[in-house]
Amino acid sequence: MNTLITRGIQALMVAVLIGAATFAMMRALPGDAAYRIAAGRYGYDNVDTAAADAVREELGLGGPALPAFLTWLGDLLRLDFGTSLVTGQPVIEEIGHQLGASMALAGVAVLLSLILGPPLGILAGLRPGGVLDRVLLVVSTGLKAVPQFLMALILILILSVQFRLLPAAGHGEARHFILPSLALALGLAAVNARIARDAMARIGAMPFYSFAQWKGLSPRQTLLRHGLRNVSVPLLTYLGLQFVTLVEGVVVVEAVFGWPGIGHALVHAIFSRDVPMVQGTALCLGLSFVLVNAIIDLVTQRIDPRRAA
Amino acid sequence: MSLLKAEDITVSQGDTPILHPVSLHLEPGEPLVILGETGSGKSLLAQAIMGTLPRDLAARGRVALGDRLLDAARPDGFRPLWGRQIAVLPQEPWLSLDPLMQAERQVTETHRLVRGLGTTEARVQAAADFDHLGLTGAGHRYPHELSGGMAQRAAIAAARAGGARIVIADEPTKGLDAARRDEVADLLLAELARGGGLLVITHDLALARRVGGRMIVLREGRVVETGPTKTVMDAPTQTYTRDLIAADPDNWAARDRQTAGAPVLTATGLAADRGGAQLFSDLSFDLAEGRILGVTGPSGCGKSTLGDVVLGLVPPSAGRVKRSEGLAPTAFQKLYQDPVAAFPRHRTLKGTLEDVARRHGQTQDRIDALMHRLGLAPVLLLRKPDAVSGGELQRLALLRLLLVRPKFIFADEPTSRLDPITQKHVIDLLCETAATEGCAIMLISHDPALVARTADQMLSLDPAAPNLDVTPTRVAGALQ
Repeated sequence: MNTLITRGIQALMVAVLIGAATFAMMRALPGDAAYRIAAGRYGYDNVDTAAADAVREELGLGGPALPAFLTWLGDLLRLDFGTSLVTGQPVIEEIGHQLGASMALAGVAVLLSLILGPPLGILAGLRPGGVLDRVLLVVSTGLKAVPQFLMALILILILSVQFRLLPAAGHGEARHFILPSLALALGLAAVNARIARDAMARIGAMPFYSFAQWKGLSPRQTLLRHGLRNVSVPLLTYLGLQFVTLVEGVVVVEAVFGWPGIGHALVHAIFSRDVPMVQGTALCLGLSFVLVNAIIDLVTQRIDPRRAA
Repeated sequence: MSLLKAEDITVSQGDTPILHPVSLHLEPGEPLVILGETGSGKSLLAQAIMGTLPRDLAARGRVALGDRLLDAARPDGFRPLWGRQIAVLPQEPWLSLDPLMQAERQVTETHRLVRGLGTTEARVQAAADFDHLGLTGAGHRYPHELSGGMAQRAAIAAARAGGARIVIADEPTKGLDAARRDEVADLLLAELARGGGLLVITHDLALARRVGGRMIVLREGRVVETGPTKTVMDAPTQTYTRDLIAADPDNWAARDRQTAGAPVLTATGLAADRGGAQLFSDLSFDLAEGRILGVTGPSGCGKSTLGDVVLGLVPPSAGRVKRSEGLAPTAFQKLYQDPVAAFPRHRTLKGTLEDVARRHGQTQDRIDALMHRLGLAPVLLLRKPDAVSGGELQRLALLRLLLVRPKFIFADEPTSRLDPITQKHVIDLLCETAATEGCAIMLISHDPALVARTADQMLSLDPAAPNLDVTPTRVAGALQ
């Protein structure tokens, strides 16, 4: 219960901070916002001073910053995210549309990273210093060091351009998922594997792990009954933190593969100075971070009763 | 016929022998005690017999179990015996139970997977084990919700569930108070009465005496003395065994009563609680320079809390502690139970001590003088905490306190992790410090004999005997 209250307060603070930060940053960007919005609405070729002035007039862009921010905050409390300055559609509808696509991509990527990383990490952690452990250290450090946009390009070059196995971009079919989710998953799996490896090595060296075997359990039974549950706690906790990496990756990878998700939308909204869209999107990402961690808190408390105390 | 026979067991690290040839045999119904200090090789001997040595150590020798003959050099051969033929009781029961699994399920799984009972049968059997050990109703608790004694009993149930007839207990009473210690010994003996074998490895003389049977005394990897436990303990033939037995607090001579110096503190009407439950109330005492106040009581009765209240680290729920006027804020100091945890791990001791000396305006001469007085070799200062023995480190911890020129030292079980001979040495030094430095000392111990022979005043926090008498006559009473 305490967890939920803490997380609720956290969510509120996240909302205010993100709103203020995005608002300030958008105001601080160079250039005339009216021109950029007009360009977003009518296309770059159709923008002139008249169109920009019309936009300025319509949206009241010339006004002072503080009242505009407070209005946004007030609207937010009524769960009104405002309307996009470019399309004129309610922000919440736009986000709802894009969020689904992003969540599908992120979900597949996390699943893939969990299939790849932790099992290898656990195997390596059972024999610290062994061949698998050393190979995994090199491979995971290497994978983690490759930035996601580069990873995406390397995958495109190898699998789409060279071998023509998969489409380089697109959305809608199952095979379109493979490259973007793999580009995200490899980086996540590299770190997952390290966390699982360290947790397993630590738990394998604990007295209770030896004691379980002295009771007569086989190594396999010991791992299944006493190893996995204990490894899962640090792994889940880390998964919550990894959400930041995931969001960062989604923005980049969506841009590379032309995936119509929230990251893609955020980049476009920034270009065309669509402040309500930027605020709405950033808020949505920030709050989902709090939500994901609240869920993980509850799950780990269920697995590890010491945490509930 | 012997249950287990081990011949010429040796352990070596590379080319360095750590344990010289030892042979032993376990008979049904007759316990065998292996007595020795830390580093005597007693645990290694047990590990060699079980095939659980760390990888960098190699064992040699033959182990015969019933009609099976095993080679100690091939530890894999022992694995099928674990739980089925040999049950191993772990050192620290709390750490030996899976923290994320309810206690009774850890017994049930052994019945099911090792003994091969059906799911329901295993559950019924585990519940019966818990009832038998006086743990009725505690089966659904997680290890952190059990007391040390309960965890020890749950671990015994789990270790025995596989049906093994031979029990090897490695320091089964580490960190337990006297009452719990006897309880564990009785439990082990009860198991033995069913015709099994029992091997107890310990440095605890009281436990050894209670277990009885035969005894092997080990020192630095060699057998010093063997024989029936009672004979060895009553009439040791070797000097080392005599020293070891003389170091038992039960055999200490009582310390000469000190005359009190200037008063250091006065406590009036102290009370404290933990988690809503009252630990103690209405405690009043005063303490003067050179005096030692001994505090005893079972684990969890609030001994450490009382010390922290006196230090001002924990606020009392009632009453107050008045320090004498003119004392520096740092005049009240604490000597911790585990010296290893009280030193920064990656710094040399010299660096740590010099920091303290500089902060409190003490010179290198003072460090040297104290090193000499506490019987510490100067070369130790160049090492890191993990490269000196526990007894040396505890003396260094005392030295660090003395650099601050304390008037009051709260010593919280300062020797519970030390061997008997080292324990006596550290306690003697502590008593000497009270006299030479003019400190008041509050000494906490789970061992009433140790406190009775050391303290000038005594305070019992035992809830079963709520006589909070602090007069010296009580000390005399405790001695009889």
